[in-house]
Amino acid sequence: MTVFHFFNCAILTFGPHAVYYSATPLSEYDTLGTSVKAAVVYLATALVKLICLATFLKVSESDSFDPYQEFLKALIGFIDVAGLYFALTQLTHRNISQNHKFQAVGLGWAFADSVLHRLAPLWVGARGLEFTWDYILQGLEANANLVLSISLAALGSLMWLRKNKPKTLIPIIYLCAVIVATMPSTTSYLRRGLGWHLPKVVGFELFTSLVMAFISWQLFAACQRPSL
Amino acid sequence: MAMTPRKTRNREMLFDSVIALVFILVACVDLCDGATVVDVYRLIQYDMSGVPFGSRLASLNHHAASLHFSPHADLSRTVLLIPLRELNMSFVQEYIAASKPLGGLILLLPQMFSVENKGGVGSNHDDGSKELLKNVLDEVEQILIHTNLPDASFLQYPVYFAFEDENIDTVLLDIKKNDATGQPATATTGGYKFVVSATEPKKVGSPPITNIQGWLAGLKTDGDSHQLPTIAIVASYDTFGAAPALSVGSDSNGSGIVALLEVARLFSLLYSNPKTRGQYNLLFGLTSGGPYNYNGTRKWLQSFDQRLRESIDYAICLDSIGSWENELWIHVSKPPENAFIKQIMEDFSSVAEELGFQVNLKHKKINISNPRVAWEHEQFSRLRVTAATLSELSTPPELLERTGGLVDGRQFVNEAAIVRSVKLIAESLAKHIYGHQGKNVQIFADNSNLAVNPSYVRSWLDVLSRTPRVAPFLSKDDPFVTALKKELEDHTDEVNLQREVLDGMFTFYDSTTAKLNIYQVASVTFDLLLLLVLGSYLIVLFSFLVITTRGLDDLISLFRRPPSRKVKTA
Repeated sequence: MTVFHFFNCAILTFGPHAVYYSATPLSEYDTLGTSVKAAVVYLATALVKLICLATFLKVSESDSFDPYQEFLKALIGFIDVAGLYFALTQLTHRNISQNHKFQAVGLGWAFADSVLHRLAPLWVGARGLEFTWDYILQGLEANANLVLSISLAALGSLMWLRKNKPKTLIPIIYLCAVIVATMPSTTSYLRRGLGWHLPKVVGFELFTSLVMAFISWQLFAACQRPSL
Repeated sequence: MAMTPRKTRNREMLFDSVIALVFILVACVDLCDGATVVDVYRLIQYDMSGVPFGSRLASLNHHAASLHFSPHADLSRTVLLIPLRELNMSFVQEYIAASKPLGGLILLLPQMFSVENKGGVGSNHDDGSKELLKNVLDEVEQILIHTNLPDASFLQYPVYFAFEDENIDTVLLDIKKNDATGQPATATTGGYKFVVSATEPKKVGSPPITNIQGWLAGLKTDGDSHQLPTIAIVASYDTFGAAPALSVGSDSNGSGIVALLEVARLFSLLYSNPKTRGQYNLLFGLTSGGPYNYNGTRKWLQSFDQRLRESIDYAICLDSIGSWENELWIHVSKPPENAFIKQIMEDFSSVAEELGFQVNLKHKKINISNPRVAWEHEQFSRLRVTAATLSELSTPPELLERTGGLVDGRQFVNEAAIVRSVKLIAESLAKHIYGHQGKNVQIFADNSNLAVNPSYVRSWLDVLSRTPRVAPFLSKDDPFVTALKKELEDHTDEVNLQREVLDGMFTFYDSTTAKLNIYQVASVTFDLLLLLVLGSYLIVLFSFLVITTRGLDDLISLFRRPPSRKVKTA
């Protein structure tokens, strides 16, 4: 029943994206074009990141946590943020409200991320006879990633698209954005530096993504009120 | 307007073909990455006079169980993984000898029987258990080779041998734990799956046997037109066992080969100088086909021309001289009153006395009508050449018994015994060749440059203990045969290879080694459960999102399509 397992893990990894699209008003306003454009921007960003990683990082033999390398990786991770900025601000979107714009961009971003990072291992690995929990954990990670991407897009839209924000909230917005943007480095530190196993790391990711989503939702709602 | 239906149809067809392609790709399950891959060695499969023996199947794809299976479980689709330590003869009798249906059998042998494990002289407190295991393995091997079952002489399921190592030991522990819960491993309850993907075993077309002979010429004085007499020293070099890939036969007959090579080396030293060259030719023969009634020896002798055969004074055949303590046996088929036999016995027993052990004579008459050839010298005797076999065994082994199987490993051979045997043979031959009967002369004394070289003996014994030598699986240009030929070339004047085909009574089948893939599989119920959980998760997610973004009414309205919509489109 290995194709079965592949199918299960595939719907765990990619199902939530489809469900999110169809459940929220995004489908009604036909924002698929925006999501597709965001996915393309993610691909370009990933390419740029790869080139930078190859140029500036040296290959380490051991699997230990090297602070300097990780710091460089985090810096390169900010290229992600730049890409998101580009997707949110520079691309021409049809007339869709800001509310839906960040959701569509976040969705497209997360979907491209899942496909790029998780489809190939799933295809090659989950169809074999051997059973491991890895692919299910990977799917849960994809879910966490979806929530994180949408919250990052929300914070991004707050930072760059909304003109008038309450002054007190601005530092909190920036702080949350920084936290969410450095999530990949944090997880790799946990995995390598502290030696956490995969289930623990995935649990941590899920928890923080829910927390950050809640915080960004509150911030978004708080910024919503004055402009009305 | 007429274009659009065609366009949509084209688009639909494209879509369908893409979906079909995706399904085909997805359905190609790749089996090549198991958690553990173990080398396994298959039980021999052969026919003797048309009667099939051994295990007839090679490929395996079943769930695994250990000896703790529940008593009424149906094992016809299960592979039993049994370590040798836990095997008891009652189980063997019940299941294997009674030919109950099994999906497969894998016997785990302790590391000490591995060909890579030199062992050496083991620790004393382990010897008791080692002996016990050795005996159990010997019995099991004999049963597996010669299964004499009421309704079939062979096993209808694949049988493999493997060696204990960390990976397979942890797998075995896991399987035992699962079995202890009482649930047999099947497709619905998960567990381990053992897969050996092997092609169906094919007959080995013409099993080759290669005899190697080396000729060391004696000193011919000028004007002597008579043929010099010849002494032949012969040993058979091939083996037969339950697992042909593991049949290294250190004692049967690795010890004989090593002794022959060392005697050849010593006499080549003596014969290199014309002043010390004896007036006897020496013929060294490494024959194949030993386990099969010394088939190769017969063919070799038949290839001799009459003059050579008549010039052979006597032949000494070497068979298992590696693990004796105090006495050796000389087996003859001519009556002991025969002059040559008396001479041989005198030479050998006087040298043995000097060296401190005993040599006994045993006479066994040949029955010409019986095709069974118990000792190699009998093939010589059937062609009227005087011959004797030097061996540590006092009784002849049965057909396909003691032919260098699984239990015949390096650690059960004592190289000091081989060194003593070489001394015995060399000194006795020298007594006969140089006519020193009755005198106490030691030509191959220790610490002389003609001393027996123990490191030569040891290194060849080690090489032989790592080379499986079942004749049908030794190809014509096998590197081992070439190595033996080269070694004899170093010590003799002329070396010839005789290539023959094994006689028709035996047929062999290939596929002797394989790789076992061990997969830990989840049960079907697990997959179904997971599907259920995921389905409900997605539904909950969907409802949650609809409620939070569009409101509860929208969710309810999704399930109730108002009939007014249909009326509108119509």
